[in-house]
Amino acid sequence: MTIHNLSRRDFITTSSILVLGTALPIKASRPDALAKEGLAPNLFVALGTDGTVTVTSHRSEMGQGIRTAIAQIVADEMEADWSYVQVAQAQGDRAYGDQNTDGSQSIRLFLDKLRQAGATARQMLETAAAHRWDVPASECEALNHFVEHKPSGRKLAYGELAAEASNLSVPRNVNLKAPEDFRYIGKGMKHVDADAIAAGTATYAADVRLPGMAIAVIVRPPRLGSHVVSVKLHQDAKSQAGFIGLETLNPTPGAPLFFPLGGVAVIAETTYAAMQTAKQLDIAWSDPSEAATTPSFNEKLRALVRSPSRPLFDSGDVDRVFETDGITLEAVYETPFLSHAPMEPPCALADVREDHTEVWASVQDPQSTRNQVAGWLKTDRENVAINVTLLGGAFGRKSKPDFVLEAVEISRRLKRPIRVQWSREDDIQHDYYHAASAQLYRATLDDTGMPKAWLQRTAFPSIMTTYVRGSNDPAGWELEMGFSNTPYRIPNQRFESKGLQPGVRIGWMRSVCNIFHAFSTNVFVDELAATAEIDPIEYRLALIPKSGILKVPGDQPPKGHGLDLARLRHVLERVRDLSEWTRHRPQGTGIGVAVHHSFRSYVATVIEAKVTGNNVKVQNAWVVLDCGTYVNSDSCIAQMEGAVAFGLSLARTDGITMADGSVDQSNFHDYPVIRMNESPAVSVELVASSAAPAGVGEPGVPPVAPALSNAIFNATGRRLRKLPLMLSS
Amino acid sequence: MPDSISVNGEIHSIEADEDTPLLWILRDYVRLTGTKFGCGQGFCGACTVHLDGVPARSCQTTLKSARDKTITTIEALGKRHPRLVAVWAERNVAQCGYCQAGQLMSAAALLESNPSPSDSDIDSAMSGNICRCGTYGRIRSAIHEIAGEIA
Repeated sequence: MTIHNLSRRDFITTSSILVLGTALPIKASRPDALAKEGLAPNLFVALGTDGTVTVTSHRSEMGQGIRTAIAQIVADEMEADWSYVQVAQAQGDRAYGDQNTDGSQSIRLFLDKLRQAGATARQMLETAAAHRWDVPASECEALNHFVEHKPSGRKLAYGELAAEASNLSVPRNVNLKAPEDFRYIGKGMKHVDADAIAAGTATYAADVRLPGMAIAVIVRPPRLGSHVVSVKLHQDAKSQAGFIGLETLNPTPGAPLFFPLGGVAVIAETTYAAMQTAKQLDIAWSDPSEAATTPSFNEKLRALVRSPSRPLFDSGDVDRVFETDGITLEAVYETPFLSHAPMEPPCALADVREDHTEVWASVQDPQSTRNQVAGWLKTDRENVAINVTLLGGAFGRKSKPDFVLEAVEISRRLKRPIRVQWSREDDIQHDYYHAASAQLYRATLDDTGMPKAWLQRTAFPSIMTTYVRGSNDPAGWELEMGFSNTPYRIPNQRFESKGLQPGVRIGWMRSVCNIFHAFSTNVFVDELAATAEIDPIEYRLALIPKSGILKVPGDQPPKGHGLDLARLRHVLERVRDLSEWTRHRPQGTGIGVAVHHSFRSYVATVIEAKVTGNNVKVQNAWVVLDCGTYVNSDSCIAQMEGAVAFGLSLARTDGITMADGSVDQSNFHDYPVIRMNESPAVSVELVASSAAPAGVGEPGVPPVAPALSNAIFNATGRRLRKLPLMLSS
Repeated sequence: MPDSISVNGEIHSIEADEDTPLLWILRDYVRLTGTKFGCGQGFCGACTVHLDGVPARSCQTTLKSARDKTITTIEALGKRHPRLVAVWAERNVAQCGYCQAGQLMSAAALLESNPSPSDSDIDSAMSGNICRCGTYGRIRSAIHEIAGEIA
């Protein structure tokens, strides 16, 4: 990483920041302006002469605690006193490197860079103190916001050294701390936004207000690709005070990409006036070329996994072994379309001016948003500033800035700041849905009960259909989520995949294709274990070699790391102990296990469920996570707790269906998610590790649904192969 | 004729359709944005405020029906329940935080009426508030920690 000294060199032309705990975004001109006469050796840290340390978070905060984690890393290496640390939020700018807060990658991509950023500041402060005292730098040591001259015991506070340090050249090589000296890294520190959230002063997209702004609510086409033929207000429409006007938005031809869906925008001075007027429009829509209907779509999925296709992996002679002696099992698994449904519906504020456009939005990737906005307006990205507020949940939805482009287009036309506010109905009916899927598994067992031949076939509409019109085959990176990188390697084995057209926009949702591949694989292995009459954990341990690095497809960071079989086994063994797996449970109470490797992390989950009639009550979940080196232990635990809730929502209640291209669900009454009374007790164990950091936000989700299905089987003997998991008579 | 409402001890004069939901009065007119819009139908509880001390979904409460009530929002909760707000933050209850104003308002109302709630009391009082991040376990623990401290 090139580190520039911003104290003397302009690097970013403009920047506005959100300072911790304030209700409205505070504008600052540059990182160095934050520390006037202070030290700003790089984009990530600035030290004021009053000792205030401002750490810049260039990644979006959506509840995973990244703003805190970034501050922990930088402050730790800087030897900063935590009480002096505040966090600023970066705009979208290539100078920061990757800002796409997606794929559970923030710590994986930036732990080393952020450590260097903090250590650079520490080393410059030590050098400045050495100059002041005219002593060798080796005698000066930074410790908790002071530099101390060890032989004489003299001390200088960081703030007193900031100005002198800013005149030094930025060192090329810096010494990083030894892990045993970490002050903040690895600790479960309180989140930097926790107080503002509890006080109701934290800023989300809809909380930003600009002078002269108006609100837009959009009635989008009920079916993808449909456009407005005509629009008028109902004859007896009640006029709303503050109603400004209507704007027709045309969908962009071709693949959906991140473009607005089109429709009719209702613009008003207040949100309520816009929403009320939107309900009183008569709109005629064109007929789209394709309109999916769920029952026939699911039939297509099942047909696809029942017929062979070109293998993407084929070893041994699967078909010959299938025909030999031994028990052969075959099972088909099905999962529905899902909606992200973050608590904050999409929202963006745009102010498009002649020469400059400014946006405030809850987006996961402000750089791609900036590029999209610049492309839409046919201007240079230097003329576009994207300010990232807190995200009220995202789960992948807010990496697609279609809602930002809506605000930009309306602001461009009306020449005033526009906030586009999505309703919950808009959110659930116009999402980039998690793909529905089907899988077929077939295996023949040898006389010890272990598989000697294994076929797995998956079918789902690819996310690539959102990018390339007519694109059909699942992408390699989608299959590398729990399918082509399966840890279960059998001498005779074949993998096949197929795609189809979805009729809706497909996107990535928290753990993406791992959701259905972990479900099918873990339930199938459970079925094999039951057939072999072997304990499900014992069976998995017998299937996974004791050690070794399995070379699996996929090149997730950190590069060159395969699937570590010993780590996979370890989380299974630990969850067996944590859950008291072998303990006797009462009649009707079942336990189930699942283990999955995703985003370079290893997670094993045990679910305990009590089944009464057809009613399933999830009582307990035990989760063991090995994510390598971690930064905030409490955030890791919280992400596992949240993953259990997210996993149970999709296992128990979720599901999007379509009728003639329109989504049937519209709000939390018909797209329910888990609530307090359905939420189990969750115990999490974090594996201590010095391995490279791995993902945390997503890997907890995939094992939940299969562990529950296996628990229901354990309790009832009934095998559920389809999500959501419902027992019926 | 403008309406007047009492929010967090202050009287606000509001000129709006009397059927306007209190949620939008608070956010667009009074400009207190701590109360959040989650579903607009009373399903999720993100917009929970207190009307005369009783938790209410502000998206389902009209301006008309809030006229004579004392309205309390998240912005004033810390004054009345500093421990509740502090424990919420110390325990890292929130993840994205968007639903937490509503969670806190429901929790405060529960503790005021029932200083030592059982798990099933918590289930009944809190199951109207959705948290998509899944912070339910921490909400439960935080309520238990404060139980008994609020008279």
